[in-house]
Amino acid sequence: MNRNISYSSLLEKAIIILLIIAFLLFILYPIAGLFVRSLTEGGQWSLFYYKDLFKEENIELIRNSVFVASLSSICATILALCIGLYAHFKGGRIRDLIYRGLMISMISPPFISSIGLLTLFGRRGLISYGLLGLTLNPYGWHGIVLLQSLGGIPLSAMFMMAGLNQIDSRLILASRDLGANPWQTLKNVILPSLIPTILSVLFLRFTMNISDFTTPVIIGGRFNVLATEAYLRVYAQANLNGAAAMTVLLLPPALVAFYFYNNNLQKTNTLSDRSKVLDVETLNYKLPRLVNFISGTITLVFFIIMVVQYGNIFIQAISRNVSGKLVFTTDHLHFFQDRHLDALLRTIHMALIAALLSTLFGVMLSYYNRMRRIPGMKSIEFIGSLPYIIPGIFFGLAYIVVFHNGPIKMTGTLIILIVNCTFRHVSVGNKAANATFENIDKKLEWASYDLGASKLQSLVTLIFPMLRPTFLTSFINAFTACMTTVGPLMLLVSPKNLIISVLMFSEVSNGRYGQAAVMGLSLILITFTVNLIAMALMTREKRITR
Amino acid sequence: MILELKNLTKMYDDKNGVASFNLAVERGEFITLLGPSGCGKTTTLNLIGGFLQADSGEILMEGKDISSLPPEARKVSTVFQNYALFPHLNVLENVAYGIRFFRKYSKKKALLAAEEFVHLVGLSGYEKSNIGNLSGGQQQRVALARSIATGAELLLLDEPLSNLDVALRTHLRKELKEIQRKTKTTMIYVTHDQEEGLSLSDRIVVMDKGLIVQIGSPREIYYKPVNSYVADFVGKSNFLEDEKGNQYILRPEDVNIIEKPGGKYIIEQMVFLGHRTEYILRNGEEKVEVHLQGIRGKDFNLGDSVDIEILFKSKLNNG
Repeated sequence: MNRNISYSSLLEKAIIILLIIAFLLFILYPIAGLFVRSLTEGGQWSLFYYKDLFKEENIELIRNSVFVASLSSICATILALCIGLYAHFKGGRIRDLIYRGLMISMISPPFISSIGLLTLFGRRGLISYGLLGLTLNPYGWHGIVLLQSLGGIPLSAMFMMAGLNQIDSRLILASRDLGANPWQTLKNVILPSLIPTILSVLFLRFTMNISDFTTPVIIGGRFNVLATEAYLRVYAQANLNGAAAMTVLLLPPALVAFYFYNNNLQKTNTLSDRSKVLDVETLNYKLPRLVNFISGTITLVFFIIMVVQYGNIFIQAISRNVSGKLVFTTDHLHFFQDRHLDALLRTIHMALIAALLSTLFGVMLSYYNRMRRIPGMKSIEFIGSLPYIIPGIFFGLAYIVVFHNGPIKMTGTLIILIVNCTFRHVSVGNKAANATFENIDKKLEWASYDLGASKLQSLVTLIFPMLRPTFLTSFINAFTACMTTVGPLMLLVSPKNLIISVLMFSEVSNGRYGQAAVMGLSLILITFTVNLIAMALMTREKRITR
Repeated sequence: MILELKNLTKMYDDKNGVASFNLAVERGEFITLLGPSGCGKTTTLNLIGGFLQADSGEILMEGKDISSLPPEARKVSTVFQNYALFPHLNVLENVAYGIRFFRKYSKKKALLAAEEFVHLVGLSGYEKSNIGNLSGGQQQRVALARSIATGAELLLLDEPLSNLDVALRTHLRKELKEIQRKTKTTMIYVTHDQEEGLSLSDRIVVMDKGLIVQIGSPREIYYKPVNSYVADFVGKSNFLEDEKGNQYILRPEDVNIIEKPGGKYIIEQMVFLGHRTEYILRNGEEKVEVHLQGIRGKDFNLGDSVDIEILFKSKLNNG
């Protein structure tokens, strides 16, 4: 018996150590490696690449990046705020409907909006040219701003809804009770309470937008930005050191975003013990008429765009645009079946493994930090939350820099994609598990020890079963993210290990929208199916526990 | 008469809500709605405050029906259970909020006017303090000051003391009564604590399952409860039945124990609490609880045979 327990605790120690090593090796080591790389020239320490950054043509790039990213972040934040306000204060079924709609548009594959914009409103767009006879030019900074704003809305609006939900509804009651009308209440209570959320959304958007290099490639035309240049340096010139310095420059805004995001998260955690809060339904607060009208219109237009986008993907997949006229064809489907089916299978394979691993790692990290309070785990958790916030291009490049040569060589393999995806999304499971552990009494585990179970046995027989719903949701979220991620993977694929999202990018940027649409469709089908299965499992689980 | 509620009804479902609530409140009165959680007392308060829409009935304030007015247009102010202080504003700004919007002062003037009310609740020196840095009792005072500052003629208080510890609660109870006397504000107070109800109120409305069971002064409620529900809710009670089948309630402190060897009651339980001793006496099937104050309890022990003397009993209306 005694030996049994010590064997078990030894095994657990080994697991903890492996966990720590994994996080250090696959997150901290690449990040450090990238910094070192940006600071060396010809094997010597040097600031050469940083000085190079501030040459005139690069200053222009930085200015472009900041301009576009600021504009699209502000647009997305304002639009998302409107949608969030509208949904929250409409309440009831409309709120649920909007929330679901946002969820669906959030798990959509990349480039769907790009395809929509280019095929419907491009030079030979079905609507602009085919229907209206106009020749529009969507290329340029305005195209980037449009697509980035649109792409940022779903997640941002969901953040806003969560933020609004956190406002103690009694504050709104109190404000009106004290004589403030709906507009004064909105201005003096609701918006000020929402400022942390608004700031975190704004900076999160800024981080995402400034490190987004795919949209500018697709629609920027001659308008160039820093992230794209960094990508080209890797892709076309193999100038890793220069690219490294450029991506380091993308980091400061990400850190600011991280600060706000984390602060906001902690606040929402401490607010969870509120006792008696009225539902919006009984709150009897309506948005001021003008605000209601504007935000309602914005919400409606947003969802119309979403519907058009999705419909367009279906149409593009089975048609060809012959100078503004639609001709139906099955060519794209056949071509996909012949050429890209293996890439699709590889993508699913990669996403499944990465989602499983990242959920497992994330949950275990949370367990050892939150439940067991093992010293040092807090720092590891911090390290684990970095990949989510640092620019994708940074995290991809970091992997190339350290895993191309040297002791661990794995560029060009499927493994590097899996590892990268695993650690990029590890904070999904981690955050979800943290939230769950908040509500689990630590004495449950003591009871388990007291009844003779070892620590590892308690983990497997007590903690994991309690976390089943958490596992399931995190797995789904991670899986969806892995299926649709482009950023870091774009730098890590080789002809041998192509995946669908990356292929989609090259199809879109080469104007082969039909093929890109088929790929998008395949991603939609898979992520939707998996999400539906998970939802079904979850409702069954609820029924059982009830 | 400042407020009159006529047949006020708001049902959430078949069982929960308030049904045909009738009450007239005089100016300057302190009224307590007393009852267990879920009896509809907070719903009533929210209906008066305008946070809920009634299914039917009227809310008359100084004779005018206000039931269709939004909260900001009612001359009523609520002190919320968790105070609902604005966390992004300091003490003075919180108190000034209602002056600004309800009394339509400019921001500057409102802040100036607010100082008087901060002083009234004894928080001078805390004007610039952050709400988060205040203790529960201080937050409670800010909430009170904020409501009074609106100049509202009717104050609604939703269990304002329930989040505080016992000593502070007793202290603030006295302060609240004092402030009411000073400002002559009419107050409707919701609580499930009978001691608060008895000590603060001019009149108490005892509620059960959405209905009014009894309205009366604290003494009436305590000594002349209409039924066993009221009797039990405002204190401990013994129920006695005479030969004719009339029911009486008998408060444990209104009974005396008389030393009498061979008496028909036997002391079955005894709890010594210092300031009083609680006994349970038995006579066959009949049980009587008796509380003796102070030294009067020292002579009796478990198993003693005794007799009782009833100092006061009250006949119940219904069986």
